[in-house]
Amino acid sequence: MEMITAFFFASLATMAFAILFQAPKKIVLIDGIIGAIGWVVFIYLRHELGYTSFVSNFTATISLALASELSSRIFKQPVTVFVIPGIVPLVPGLGIYQGMFAIINNDYNNGTSILLTAMTDSVAIAIGVMLVSSLFRVIKVRRFMLQYRRSKRQMEMKVKGKK
Amino acid sequence: MAKTDFTRDQTINIAVKIGKILLKSGAETYRVEDTISRCCLVHGYEVDPFVTPTVIILGNEDTDSFIRVSRIGYRSTNLSLISEMNTMSYNFHKWDKSYEETCAWLEKKWRQPAPYGKWAVCLASGIGSAAFAAMLGGNSHDFIAAFVTGGMAMVVLKQIAGYHPSAFWENAIAGVAIGAVALLCCAMSVQCTMEKIIVGALMPFVPGVPFCNGLRDYMAGNLMSGNSRIAEALLFASSIAIGIAFVLRVWFIWGWDLWK
Repeated sequence: MEMITAFFFASLATMAFAILFQAPKKIVLIDGIIGAIGWVVFIYLRHELGYTSFVSNFTATISLALASELSSRIFKQPVTVFVIPGIVPLVPGLGIYQGMFAIINNDYNNGTSILLTAMTDSVAIAIGVMLVSSLFRVIKVRRFMLQYRRSKRQMEMKVKGKK
Repeated sequence: MAKTDFTRDQTINIAVKIGKILLKSGAETYRVEDTISRCCLVHGYEVDPFVTPTVIILGNEDTDSFIRVSRIGYRSTNLSLISEMNTMSYNFHKWDKSYEETCAWLEKKWRQPAPYGKWAVCLASGIGSAAFAAMLGGNSHDFIAAFVTGGMAMVVLKQIAGYHPSAFWENAIAGVAIGAVALLCCAMSVQCTMEKIIVGALMPFVPGVPFCNGLRDYMAGNLMSGNSRIAEALLFASSIAIGIAFVLRVWFIWGWDLWK
Protein backbone atom coordinates (compact mmCIF):
# COMPACT_ATOMS: atom_id res chain seq x y z
CA MET A 1 0.00 0.00 0.00
CA GLU A 2 2.85 2.32 0.89
CA MET A 3 4.47 1.55 -2.45
CA ILE A 4 1.24 2.32 -4.35
CA THR A 5 0.91 5.69 -2.62
CA ALA A 6 4.59 6.45 -3.33
CA PHE A 7 4.11 5.46 -6.98
CA PHE A 8 1.02 7.67 -7.34
CA PHE A 9 2.52 10.79 -5.77
CA ALA A 10 5.86 10.38 -7.54
CA SER A 11 4.15 10.09 -10.91
CA LEU A 12 2.00 13.15 -10.09
CA ALA A 13 5.11 15.16 -9.16
CA THR A 14 7.01 14.06 -12.25
CA MET A 15 4.11 14.92 -14.56
CA ALA A 16 3.87 18.38 -12.99
CA PHE A 17 7.59 18.86 -13.53
CA ALA A 18 7.34 17.66 -17.11
CA ILE A 19 4.81 20.47 -17.69
CA LEU A 20 7.13 22.89 -15.89
CA PHE A 21 9.94 21.95 -18.30
CA GLN A 22 7.59 22.26 -21.32
CA ALA A 23 7.80 18.59 -22.34
CA PRO A 24 5.82 17.49 -25.44
CA LYS A 25 2.18 16.82 -24.59
CA LYS A 26 2.04 13.13 -25.56
CA ILE A 27 5.13 12.36 -23.46
CA VAL A 28 3.93 13.74 -20.10
CA LEU A 29 2.24 10.51 -18.96
CA ILE A 30 5.28 8.36 -19.85
CA ASP A 31 7.48 10.81 -17.92
CA GLY A 32 5.27 10.28 -14.88
CA ILE A 33 5.68 6.51 -15.05
CA ILE A 34 9.47 6.76 -15.48
CA GLY A 35 9.85 9.13 -12.52
CA ALA A 36 7.68 6.84 -10.39
CA ILE A 37 9.83 3.81 -11.30
CA GLY A 38 12.93 5.62 -10.05
CA TRP A 39 11.27 6.74 -6.81
CA VAL A 40 9.78 3.30 -6.01
CA VAL A 41 13.16 1.59 -6.56
CA PHE A 42 14.76 4.20 -4.29
CA ILE A 43 12.12 3.78 -1.54
CA TYR A 44 12.37 -0.01 -1.69
CA LEU A 45 16.17 -0.09 -1.44
CA ARG A 46 16.42 2.67 1.16
CA HIS A 47 13.55 1.84 3.53
CA GLU A 48 12.89 -1.89 3.00
CA LEU A 49 16.36 -3.27 2.38
CA GLY A 50 18.25 -0.52 4.23
CA TYR A 51 21.02 0.24 1.74
CA THR A 52 22.94 3.50 1.97
CA SER A 53 21.60 6.62 0.32
CA PHE A 54 24.34 6.66 -2.34
CA VAL A 55 23.70 3.08 -3.48
CA SER A 56 19.92 3.51 -3.52
CA ASN A 57 20.13 6.71 -5.55
CA PHE A 58 22.60 5.13 -7.97
CA THR A 59 20.48 2.02 -8.57
CA ALA A 60 17.27 4.02 -8.89
CA THR A 61 18.88 6.34 -11.43
CA ILE A 62 20.22 3.44 -13.48
CA SER A 63 16.79 1.81 -13.59
CA LEU A 64 15.04 5.01 -14.66
CA ALA A 65 17.74 5.82 -17.21
CA LEU A 66 17.34 2.35 -18.75
CA ALA A 67 13.57 2.85 -18.86
CA SER A 68 13.99 6.21 -20.56
CA GLU A 69 16.48 4.85 -23.12
CA LEU A 70 13.94 2.15 -23.93
CA SER A 71 11.07 4.64 -24.29
CA SER A 72 13.21 7.02 -26.33
CA ARG A 73 13.65 4.18 -28.84
CA ILE A 74 9.91 3.42 -28.78
CA PHE A 75 8.57 6.99 -29.03
CA LYS A 76 11.38 8.37 -31.26
CA GLN A 77 12.29 11.24 -28.90
CA PRO A 78 15.67 12.30 -27.46
CA VAL A 79 16.57 10.75 -24.10
CA THR A 80 16.75 14.16 -22.39
CA VAL A 81 12.97 14.51 -22.64
CA PHE A 82 12.56 11.46 -20.39
CA VAL A 83 15.59 11.71 -18.11
CA ILE A 84 15.30 15.34 -16.97
CA PRO A 85 11.76 15.09 -15.51
CA GLY A 86 12.49 11.52 -14.37
CA ILE A 87 15.34 12.37 -12.00
CA VAL A 88 13.40 15.16 -10.29
CA PRO A 89 11.91 12.98 -7.48
CA LEU A 90 15.43 11.83 -6.56
CA VAL A 91 16.97 15.32 -6.34
CA PRO A 92 17.90 15.75 -2.65
CA GLY A 93 15.83 18.83 -1.86
CA LEU A 94 15.21 17.77 1.74
CA GLY A 95 18.94 17.45 2.42
CA ILE A 96 19.68 20.87 0.92
CA TYR A 97 16.94 22.47 3.01
CA GLN A 98 17.93 20.77 6.28
CA GLY A 99 21.60 21.64 5.79
CA MET A 100 20.78 25.25 5.05
CA PHE A 101 18.41 25.44 8.02
CA ALA A 102 21.10 24.05 10.33
CA ILE A 103 23.66 26.52 9.03
CA ILE A 104 21.46 29.57 9.58
CA ASN A 105 20.93 28.31 13.13
CA ASN A 106 24.73 28.33 13.66
CA ASP A 107 24.87 24.51 13.72
CA TYR A 108 27.74 24.24 11.28
CA ASN A 109 28.75 20.64 12.09
CA ASN A 110 25.36 19.14 11.32
CA GLY A 111 24.76 21.50 8.40
CA THR A 112 27.99 20.67 6.61
CA SER A 113 27.55 16.93 6.99
CA ILE A 114 23.94 17.06 5.71
CA LEU A 115 24.94 19.24 2.75
CA LEU A 116 27.80 16.88 1.94
CA THR A 117 25.38 13.93 1.97
CA ALA A 118 23.11 15.83 -0.42
CA MET A 119 26.09 16.48 -2.69
CA THR A 120 27.13 12.82 -2.81
CA ASP A 121 23.52 11.89 -3.59
CA SER A 122 23.39 14.26 -6.55
CA VAL A 123 26.75 12.96 -7.77
CA ALA A 124 25.31 9.42 -7.59
CA ILE A 125 22.35 10.52 -9.73
CA ALA A 126 24.60 12.21 -12.29
CA ILE A 127 26.94 9.20 -12.50
CA GLY A 128 23.99 6.86 -13.03
CA VAL A 129 22.58 8.99 -15.87
CA MET A 130 25.99 9.41 -17.50
CA LEU A 131 26.85 5.72 -17.28
CA VAL A 132 23.74 4.58 -19.13
CA SER A 133 23.73 7.41 -21.68
CA SER A 134 27.40 6.96 -22.61
CA LEU A 135 26.81 3.23 -22.99
CA PHE A 136 24.02 3.89 -25.47
CA ARG A 137 25.92 6.71 -27.22
CA VAL A 138 28.54 4.23 -28.41
CA ILE A 139 25.91 2.34 -30.37
CA LYS A 140 24.36 5.53 -31.77
CA VAL A 141 27.68 7.03 -32.92
CA ARG A 142 28.61 3.82 -34.75
CA ARG A 143 25.32 3.82 -36.63
CA PHE A 144 25.75 7.51 -37.55
CA MET A 145 29.29 6.95 -38.85
CA LEU A 146 28.04 4.17 -41.15
CA GLN A 147 25.36 6.52 -42.48
CA TYR A 148 27.91 9.32 -42.95
CA ARG A 149 30.29 7.11 -44.92
CA ARG A 150 27.43 6.06 -47.19
CA SER A 151 26.36 9.68 -47.87
CA LYS A 152 30.00 10.70 -48.49
CA ARG A 153 30.39 7.90 -51.03
CA GLN A 154 27.22 9.11 -52.76
CA MET A 155 28.59 12.68 -52.87
CA GLU A 156 31.84 11.45 -54.43
CA MET A 157 29.87 9.49 -57.01
CA LYS A 158 27.87 12.65 -57.82
CA VAL A 159 31.03 14.75 -58.26
CA LYS A 160 32.52 12.09 -60.57
CA GLY A 161 29.32 12.01 -62.61
CA LYS A 162 29.41 15.80 -63.12
CA LYS A 163 32.93 15.63 -64.52
CA MET B 1 12.40 11.34 -50.12
CA ALA B 2 13.90 14.01 -52.34
CA LYS B 3 16.90 15.68 -50.79
CA THR B 4 17.65 19.32 -51.58
CA ASP B 5 21.24 20.33 -52.19
CA PHE B 6 22.32 23.29 -50.07
CA THR B 7 25.47 25.28 -50.76
CA ARG B 8 28.10 25.56 -48.05
CA ASP B 9 26.89 28.92 -46.72
CA GLN B 10 23.26 27.81 -46.70
CA THR B 11 24.08 24.61 -44.81
CA ILE B 12 26.07 26.51 -42.23
CA ASN B 13 23.34 29.15 -41.81
CA ILE B 14 20.78 26.42 -41.14
CA ALA B 15 23.11 24.60 -38.76
CA VAL B 16 23.77 27.76 -36.74
CA LYS B 17 20.05 28.48 -36.53
CA ILE B 18 19.32 24.96 -35.25
CA GLY B 19 22.14 25.29 -32.73
CA LYS B 20 20.79 28.61 -31.46
CA ILE B 21 17.32 27.18 -30.96
CA LEU B 22 18.71 24.13 -29.13
CA LEU B 23 20.92 26.19 -26.84
CA LYS B 24 18.11 28.62 -26.06
CA SER B 25 15.84 25.76 -25.00
CA GLY B 26 18.43 24.41 -22.58
CA ALA B 27 19.97 21.44 -24.40
CA GLU B 28 23.29 19.97 -23.30
CA THR B 29 26.34 21.38 -25.05
CA TYR B 30 27.43 18.09 -26.55
CA ARG B 31 23.99 17.70 -28.11
CA VAL B 32 24.30 21.12 -29.78
CA GLU B 33 27.79 20.35 -31.11
CA ASP B 34 26.67 16.93 -32.28
CA THR B 35 23.63 18.35 -34.10
CA ILE B 36 25.61 21.10 -35.84
CA SER B 37 28.33 18.79 -37.09
CA ARG B 38 25.77 16.15 -38.10
CA CYS B 39 23.78 18.66 -40.18
CA CYS B 40 26.93 19.81 -41.95
CA LEU B 41 28.29 16.30 -42.45
CA VAL B 42 25.25 14.96 -44.27
CA HIS B 43 25.91 17.60 -46.94
CA GLY B 44 29.60 16.75 -47.00
CA TYR B 45 31.07 19.72 -45.11
CA GLU B 46 33.24 19.23 -42.08
CA VAL B 47 33.06 21.94 -39.39
CA ASP B 48 34.53 22.27 -35.91
CA PRO B 49 31.91 23.74 -33.58
CA PHE B 50 32.82 25.15 -30.20
CA VAL B 51 29.81 25.64 -27.95
CA THR B 52 29.52 26.97 -24.42
CA PRO B 53 26.19 27.80 -22.75
CA THR B 54 26.38 31.40 -23.99
CA VAL B 55 28.13 31.30 -27.38
CA ILE B 56 28.40 29.20 -30.56
CA ILE B 57 31.62 29.46 -32.60
CA LEU B 58 31.93 27.66 -35.93
CA GLY B 59 34.94 27.29 -38.19
CA ASN B 60 37.21 24.70 -39.76
CA GLU B 61 40.82 24.01 -40.60
CA ASP B 62 40.89 25.16 -44.24
CA THR B 63 42.81 28.26 -45.26
CA ASP B 64 39.78 29.76 -47.04
CA SER B 65 37.75 29.11 -43.95
CA PHE B 66 34.74 30.91 -42.47
CA ILE B 67 33.83 31.88 -38.95
CA ARG B 68 30.43 32.27 -37.39
CA VAL B 69 29.85 33.54 -33.88
CA SER B 70 26.45 33.83 -32.27
CA ARG B 71 25.58 34.83 -28.74
CA ILE B 72 22.73 33.45 -26.66
CA GLY B 73 21.50 35.84 -24.00
CA TYR B 74 18.53 34.28 -22.26
CA ARG B 75 18.06 30.55 -21.73
CA SER B 76 15.09 28.56 -20.47
CA THR B 77 14.05 24.89 -20.44
CA ASN B 78 11.82 23.82 -23.32
CA LEU B 79 11.96 20.07 -23.88
CA SER B 80 9.44 19.97 -26.73
CA LEU B 81 11.58 22.30 -28.86
CA ILE B 82 14.63 20.09 -28.20
CA SER B 83 12.62 17.08 -29.30
CA GLU B 84 11.46 18.82 -32.53
CA MET B 85 14.98 19.95 -33.44
CA ASN B 86 16.29 16.45 -32.73
CA THR B 87 13.74 14.92 -35.09
CA MET B 88 14.65 17.48 -37.75
CA SER B 89 18.37 16.80 -37.52
CA TYR B 90 17.80 13.06 -37.75
CA ASN B 91 15.72 13.55 -40.91
CA PHE B 92 18.11 16.09 -42.41
CA HIS B 93 19.56 13.63 -44.93
CA LYS B 94 16.13 13.36 -46.61
CA TRP B 95 15.05 16.98 -46.10
CA ASP B 96 13.00 18.17 -49.08
CA LYS B 97 12.21 21.82 -48.26
CA SER B 98 14.03 24.60 -50.08
CA TYR B 99 16.44 26.95 -48.27
CA GLU B 100 13.94 29.79 -47.88
CA GLU B 101 11.23 27.46 -46.58
CA THR B 102 13.65 25.93 -44.07
CA CYS B 103 14.71 29.36 -42.83
CA ALA B 104 11.09 30.47 -42.44
CA TRP B 105 10.27 27.23 -40.60
CA LEU B 106 13.19 27.70 -38.19
CA GLU B 107 12.26 31.35 -37.64
CA LYS B 108 8.72 30.26 -36.77
CA LYS B 109 10.08 27.73 -34.26
CA TRP B 110 12.33 30.42 -32.73
CA ARG B 111 9.39 32.80 -32.23
CA GLN B 112 6.64 30.34 -31.26
CA PRO B 113 5.46 30.44 -27.64
CA ALA B 114 6.00 27.50 -25.29
CA PRO B 115 3.32 24.76 -25.37
CA TYR B 116 2.13 25.53 -21.84
CA GLY B 117 1.21 29.07 -20.86
CA LYS B 118 2.09 31.04 -17.74
CA TRP B 119 -0.85 29.95 -15.60
CA ALA B 120 -0.54 26.28 -16.58
CA VAL B 121 3.07 26.42 -15.40
CA CYS B 122 2.03 28.03 -12.11
CA LEU B 123 -0.62 25.33 -11.56
CA ALA B 124 1.90 22.61 -12.39
CA SER B 125 4.35 24.12 -9.93
CA GLY B 126 1.68 23.99 -7.22
CA ILE B 127 0.77 20.38 -8.00
CA GLY B 128 4.42 19.32 -8.08
CA SER B 129 5.10 20.98 -4.71
CA ALA B 130 2.03 19.36 -3.17
CA ALA B 131 3.01 15.91 -4.48
CA PHE B 132 6.51 16.35 -3.08
CA ALA B 133 5.15 17.28 0.33
CA ALA B 134 3.05 14.10 0.23
CA MET B 135 6.01 11.98 -0.92
CA LEU B 136 8.03 13.13 2.09
CA GLY B 137 5.25 11.92 4.37
CA GLY B 138 3.18 15.05 4.90
CA ASN B 139 -0.51 15.02 5.86
CA SER B 140 -3.43 16.64 4.03
CA HIS B 141 -2.75 20.06 5.57
CA ASP B 142 0.83 19.94 4.26
CA PHE B 143 -0.52 18.95 0.84
CA ILE B 144 -2.78 22.00 0.57
CA ALA B 145 -0.25 24.39 2.09
CA ALA B 146 2.50 23.20 -0.28
CA PHE B 147 0.12 23.62 -3.23
CA VAL B 148 -0.55 27.24 -2.26
CA THR B 149 3.10 27.98 -1.50
CA GLY B 150 4.55 26.44 -4.67
CA GLY B 151 1.93 28.04 -6.89
CA MET B 152 2.34 31.43 -5.23
CA ALA B 153 6.14 31.39 -5.55
CA MET B 154 5.89 30.58 -9.26
CA VAL B 155 3.31 33.37 -9.77
CA VAL B 156 5.67 35.82 -8.05
CA LEU B 157 8.60 34.66 -10.20
CA LYS B 158 6.60 34.94 -13.43
CA GLN B 159 5.32 38.41 -12.53
CA ILE B 160 8.83 39.61 -11.69
CA ALA B 161 10.31 38.05 -14.83
CA GLY B 162 8.39 40.63 -16.87
CA TYR B 163 10.69 43.36 -15.54
CA HIS B 164 13.81 41.38 -16.63
CA PRO B 165 15.91 41.50 -13.48
CA SER B 166 18.92 39.18 -13.26
CA ALA B 167 18.23 35.49 -12.63
CA PHE B 168 19.75 35.85 -9.17
CA TRP B 169 17.13 38.38 -8.05
CA GLU B 170 14.24 36.43 -9.60
CA ASN B 171 15.16 33.35 -7.58
CA ALA B 172 15.92 35.26 -4.40
CA ILE B 173 12.52 36.97 -4.45
CA ALA B 174 10.82 33.63 -5.20
CA GLY B 175 12.63 32.29 -2.11
CA VAL B 176 11.30 35.17 -0.02
CA ALA B 177 7.80 34.35 -1.28
CA ILE B 178 8.22 30.66 -0.35
CA GLY B 179 9.37 31.52 3.17
CA ALA B 180 6.65 34.11 3.78
CA VAL B 181 3.74 32.00 2.47
CA ALA B 182 4.96 28.89 4.32
CA LEU B 183 5.16 30.86 7.58
CA LEU B 184 1.63 32.20 7.02
CA CYS B 185 0.33 28.66 6.38
CA CYS B 186 1.98 27.44 9.57
CA ALA B 187 0.43 30.32 11.47
CA MET B 188 -3.01 29.38 10.19
CA SER B 189 -2.98 25.65 10.85
CA VAL B 190 -1.29 23.75 13.69
CA GLN B 191 -0.96 20.50 11.75
CA CYS B 192 1.36 21.93 9.11
CA THR B 193 5.06 21.13 9.32
CA MET B 194 7.31 23.92 8.12
CA GLU B 195 9.94 21.53 6.75
CA LYS B 196 7.67 19.60 4.40
CA ILE B 197 6.00 22.69 2.98
CA ILE B 198 9.29 24.45 2.29
CA VAL B 199 10.96 21.41 0.74
CA GLY B 200 7.93 20.79 -1.47
CA ALA B 201 7.74 24.39 -2.62
CA LEU B 202 11.50 24.54 -3.09
CA MET B 203 11.63 21.70 -5.61
CA PRO B 204 10.50 23.64 -8.73
CA PHE B 205 13.38 26.07 -8.16
CA VAL B 206 16.15 23.60 -7.27
CA PRO B 207 18.57 23.69 -10.24
CA GLY B 208 18.80 19.93 -10.66
CA VAL B 209 18.64 20.16 -14.44
CA PRO B 210 21.59 22.55 -15.00
CA PHE B 211 23.65 20.57 -12.49
CA CYS B 212 22.96 17.25 -14.17
CA ASN B 213 23.55 18.76 -17.63
CA GLY B 214 26.85 20.17 -16.42
CA LEU B 215 28.03 16.78 -15.21
CA ARG B 216 26.96 15.22 -18.50
CA ASP B 217 28.97 17.88 -20.35
CA TYR B 218 32.01 16.89 -18.26
CA MET B 219 31.45 13.28 -19.26
CA ALA B 220 31.27 14.20 -22.95
CA GLY B 221 34.56 16.11 -22.65
CA ASN B 222 33.27 19.71 -22.79
CA LEU B 223 35.09 20.90 -19.68
CA MET B 224 34.47 24.60 -20.15
CA SER B 225 30.70 24.39 -20.53
CA GLY B 226 30.56 21.85 -17.70
CA ASN B 227 32.26 24.38 -15.46
CA SER B 228 29.97 27.22 -16.45
CA ARG B 229 26.79 25.16 -16.11
CA ILE B 230 27.73 24.00 -12.62
CA ALA B 231 28.59 27.59 -11.68
CA GLU B 232 25.14 28.61 -12.94
CA ALA B 233 23.50 25.87 -10.87
CA LEU B 234 25.38 26.93 -7.73
CA LEU B 235 24.38 30.56 -8.32
CA PHE B 236 20.68 29.62 -8.60
CA ALA B 237 20.84 27.35 -5.56
CA SER B 238 22.52 29.99 -3.43
CA SER B 239 20.09 32.70 -4.54
CA ILE B 240 17.02 30.64 -3.60
CA ALA B 241 18.70 29.69 -0.32
CA ILE B 242 19.44 33.34 0.45
CA GLY B 243 15.79 34.24 -0.17
CA ILE B 244 14.44 31.57 2.18
CA ALA B 245 17.17 32.07 4.77
CA PHE B 246 16.41 35.79 4.88
CA VAL B 247 12.78 35.20 5.82
CA LEU B 248 13.60 32.46 8.34
CA ARG B 249 16.30 34.62 9.90
CA VAL B 250 13.94 37.54 10.30
CA TRP B 251 11.46 35.18 11.91
CA PHE B 252 14.16 33.92 14.30
CA ILE B 253 15.28 37.43 15.25
CA TRP B 254 11.77 38.64 15.95
CA GLY B 255 11.12 35.39 17.78
CA TRP B 256 7.56 34.77 16.67
CA ASP B 257 6.35 31.49 18.10
CA LEU B 258 4.11 30.59 15.21
CA TRP B 259 4.14 26.85 14.88
CA LYS B 260 5.13 25.36 18.21
